Amino acid sequence: MEVSEIAMSIYALIPLLPLVAAFILAVCGKKLEGKGQLLVIPAVVFSFVVSLLAFFDVSANGAIQIQLYQFLYVGQLTIDLGFYLDQLTVLILLLVTGVSAIVQVYSSRYMVSDPRHSRFFALTALFTAAMTLLVMSSNLLVTFVFWELMGICSYLLISHYAERPSAARAATKVFLVNSVADVGLFVGVILTYLTFETLDIPEILTIAQSANDISTQSITLITLCLFCGAIGKSAQMPAHVWLPFAMEAPTPVSALIHAATMVNAGPFLLVRLSPILVLAPTTMVVITVVGATTALFAAVVSLTQTDIKRTLAYSTISQLGFMTMLCGVGAFVAAIFHLIAHGFFKAFLFLSTGNSLAATHRHLEQHGKASSVPAGGLFAGAAIISLLPALVFFSGSYRYLWLSQSSMAANIALWIVGLSTIFFTAIYLFSCITTIFQDSPTGASDSDLGVQPKLLSPRFVFLIGVVIAIMVTILITVWRWFADFLSPAVGGAQALPEMQLSSWLLLPLGVAIAGWVVAFLRFNHSSEGRTSIWKKRLYVFFLNKGYFDEIYDVFLVRPTVRFAGWMWRKIDYGIVDRLVISLGSSSIAIARRLGYIDTAIDNRVTSVGSGTNNVGHWLGRYIDPKAVSRAVEATGHVNGTNGRTGRNYEPHSMQHNLLIIVIWLVAALGFFYWIAG
Amino acid sequence: MNSLITDHLLSLMIAVPFLGIAVLTLLTDRKWVLSATLATTLINAALAIYLWNQFGLIETGLQFVERVEWMPTFGIEYAVGVDGISLLLVLLTTILPPLCVLASWESITSRLKAFMMLILLVEGAMMVVFTALDAFLFFMMWEVTMVPMYFMIVLWGGPNRIAAGLKYVLYSLAGSLLLLIGILALYLQAGTFNIQSLAEFSYSSNSEFWIFLALFLGFAVKLPMLPFHTWLPDAHSEAPTGGSVLLAGVLLKMGGYGLIRFCLPIFPEMAHSFAPAVLWLSVLGILYGGYMALAQTDLKRLVAYSSISHMGFVTLGIFSFNNEGIAGATLQMVTHGITTGAMFLIVGQLYDRTHSREIADYGGLQARMPRFVAVLSLFAVASFGLPTTSNFIGEFLILVGVSYQNFLFVVMAMGGIVLGAAYMLWMLQRVAFGQPRTEAAKNLTDLNFREMSTLVPLAIAVIAIGIYPGPLLESMNASVTYVVEQLAGF
Repeated sequence: MEVSEIAMSIYALIPLLPLVAAFILAVCGKKLEGKGQLLVIPAVVFSFVVSLLAFFDVSANGAIQIQLYQFLYVGQLTIDLGFYLDQLTVLILLLVTGVSAIVQVYSSRYMVSDPRHSRFFALTALFTAAMTLLVMSSNLLVTFVFWELMGICSYLLISHYAERPSAARAATKVFLVNSVADVGLFVGVILTYLTFETLDIPEILTIAQSANDISTQSITLITLCLFCGAIGKSAQMPAHVWLPFAMEAPTPVSALIHAATMVNAGPFLLVRLSPILVLAPTTMVVITVVGATTALFAAVVSLTQTDIKRTLAYSTISQLGFMTMLCGVGAFVAAIFHLIAHGFFKAFLFLSTGNSLAATHRHLEQHGKASSVPAGGLFAGAAIISLLPALVFFSGSYRYLWLSQSSMAANIALWIVGLSTIFFTAIYLFSCITTIFQDSPTGASDSDLGVQPKLLSPRFVFLIGVVIAIMVTILITVWRWFADFLSPAVGGAQALPEMQLSSWLLLPLGVAIAGWVVAFLRFNHSSEGRTSIWKKRLYVFFLNKGYFDEIYDVFLVRPTVRFAGWMWRKIDYGIVDRLVISLGSSSIAIARRLGYIDTAIDNRVTSVGSGTNNVGHWLGRYIDPKAVSRAVEATGHVNGTNGRTGRNYEPHSMQHNLLIIVIWLVAALGFFYWIAG
Repeated sequence: MNSLITDHLLSLMIAVPFLGIAVLTLLTDRKWVLSATLATTLINAALAIYLWNQFGLIETGLQFVERVEWMPTFGIEYAVGVDGISLLLVLLTTILPPLCVLASWESITSRLKAFMMLILLVEGAMMVVFTALDAFLFFMMWEVTMVPMYFMIVLWGGPNRIAAGLKYVLYSLAGSLLLLIGILALYLQAGTFNIQSLAEFSYSSNSEFWIFLALFLGFAVKLPMLPFHTWLPDAHSEAPTGGSVLLAGVLLKMGGYGLIRFCLPIFPEMAHSFAPAVLWLSVLGILYGGYMALAQTDLKRLVAYSSISHMGFVTLGIFSFNNEGIAGATLQMVTHGITTGAMFLIVGQLYDRTHSREIADYGGLQARMPRFVAVLSLFAVASFGLPTTSNFIGEFLILVGVSYQNFLFVVMAMGGIVLGAAYMLWMLQRVAFGQPRTEAAKNLTDLNFREMSTLVPLAIAVIAIGIYPGPLLESMNASVTYVVEQLAGF
């Protein structure tokens, strides 16, 4: 028992190592300037190793639960900070730490001679730690905590080039879009607590599966709220606008955001809570619709973008839409499979982009000559990604699951959406890669000379065919193992998925390959003229990303700021404050009136005062004046200048004043004593 | 000896600042005055930590109680004691003054000794307010806190200080007049000033409403709640750094503390019938303060309006009448004291360099002042309640607490948090990032050791509470449960 507990607590090292590295760098970054990677890389690599251990442990022994400490304890509310490692967790952990390690190694060269070197490495390490903690957390609130921590990490990393105003603006925008969506998540967390009276994820899942007294309505509401958070972090419509702005960050950070951390949190959350999700069919439909819309919209937008980084951003959005859609139709295992494949592929793509962009830059500066970066691996990756949805989305039991859940019309609509997304995905992935490896940064004009002849060769076409065949075989094998492995961690009564090369599978595969062909043709014959006005309008619409940014700016952001300004000037100053001031001035008027009465009272008081004064004079003559005056002079000396005004106030000497005070004090004390007695 | 200190720990902590004032009268040298004040405040902070250490977690009632007859005819006692709620506020009260002293080290150039005396006077009076078990003692010291603040604003404040000081005093006087009326009315019926006995007495039903209203308004002005808030932005922004820190960090909390200590236990029934109105006002205050802060161009005013928003959370939590809400509100008071205090310290340090509080005069500080930007970012995100920072815990508990009452409030209050993120990050974007907008902003020096030493303890506190709030919550759990039990059944 004890040994296993110690063995378990080693898994705390997975987030702890990057966290400690980040902390050390944050505290003494100045001294370690330029050496940050020496600390962070071993930390992340080691946490990858520990993740591997966890992976084998979980695949052998099933889910592990570790309690660390009590985070909160108030009333009936108890929040424990603990880890819950199941099949889902370990897979994502491998992705996160693996990609992060690669990215760190890459950035140790990419970020060399950057003025904020330590800050960068501290934040990427923290980013990684936050994602691992989010994935491992066994409590919904703790998940939310690290969900937000990731948000602020992305904020700080996007504003890395702080002197660029666009970077600062982008960072603020990214965080705010996310925080609006996170309102939903936070409300969802509180609603979950109110409904289930606990925030412990395994407990919630068991309650949801066993108890029947929780109404579908409340579960629908909860899951919709929680999905809001996923919409934000995973850049689903209408909150997708932040992801292109996140491109202001250094390229390795983009790789982290798109591949390992941040955006993957959305599908992860959906899969983690899948046992609840399947209880709410309405939510599932909403998730499907949002995912499908995003996938299709972003795919088309990414086709029209001219900026390579923006193309990549929209391709990620589209892929995430696909994952979300998969969650929506109940294909949770497929969603995670897609997530992991996409993660590794995108990391690869981003790092190559960074390299090739940097390379073209260098070449441009040196001799203005073309660079040739091997693109074969990328093409293979792109092929996998475009085939993946086709394979997993329409395969095996998921088809039946899908059929059983929706009406026929919805089914057909989803088919169309799914297929067209696959089609567009294939196109943009192809064009994306060719754009990166065009030999000159100036654009399409040179493309005829560069990659294209190579692509046209029959050898290449043959190669592609072979690769596709091999990949389909591998995918089917891997997929079967994967589905077996992950099925205990996801919700819904999932029968063991059967992989058959049925017509169901061949159709999407065909569509994916058709997409490739179309992209290839498009690439060869850049179409000029013969475009109708509608086509152009559509093109402009998608080129401008559906005007989402503009709409938000005009209808949401600026009115809010203007409203705030108006409220401050008109309400706070104009009404609330003025009301108080008028109250003040009217009281002054009243005070003037009262002043007349006051003078009358004052006269009486003065006469009493002068009476005591006389008594004082009289007493002064009998009590030793010298002793008193000596004491008083000493006090007067200490008081120094402060005393002067007091002395000038009345023509009498200090001694007399003191005596008057003493008399009044004695009288008052006597009065109190008399009452008390 | 040890037991002597433990038995009279609270009196000692109250006496230390006043002794410090006495010592200060003898000193003239600037260095000595500063060190003596710093030493006094540090001693008190150390004593407060000792108090926390000695505080028993299981007991429901008051601890470290000392009672001495003062004016026996009126049943007025010098009675002090702490429970879990006041313990946290005592900690806050003693931890902020040393930082105020450090912040005023160079920025206060004239009448230094008087300023230091005023800091100590406020600290001593606040100590009594948070530990008093006697309504008369409480009220007397409540009044005493007002005077030093007024002088701090009027003598060392910014260009608009006279008007701001006057506004502050008039508002405070109006508030404390109502408070006085309320306390006297309580006394006339119950015949005692003992707060616990006051809570046990049952008051005539027709007077209950008016007494509650008087007390509530008195506290609401101090807090401040929505329609009574206009003194705060002026007073906060015109006060010198040390004054702003004390004002925002500790003085506002007297209002919230008063609500928990007087309004709830004495009139549980009235509290329940007032609750809907108060909750609505709180939520409106959260949103209103957020909108106001979004519109500000002056850094200090921005922080001041954000205080109004955060104090809305406090009343929201208190009037949800459950453990989560009240514990959250108390924690929110402490953490708001820390983060807002830190924000004022930071803005003050910037003001010391350029003598400008306008956001538009800065920009691109990241390049020249990386340390400054690091702490500014930390406290800015802590201020809007980013998880893993202290304010999140309080806000979360408050939202859970109020969710039992009406879920609409949760959603609206969340809007306030988003607004918080918006104004803080927008401010950060304009101040820290981008390019410098003025010549002055280009040649700034980063924070020095003294300035960092004012902020590092607060930064540690913010993160420590954020990831391990257990000890703080634990020490007030029993007391909060006691308060809630008194409220139950209405």
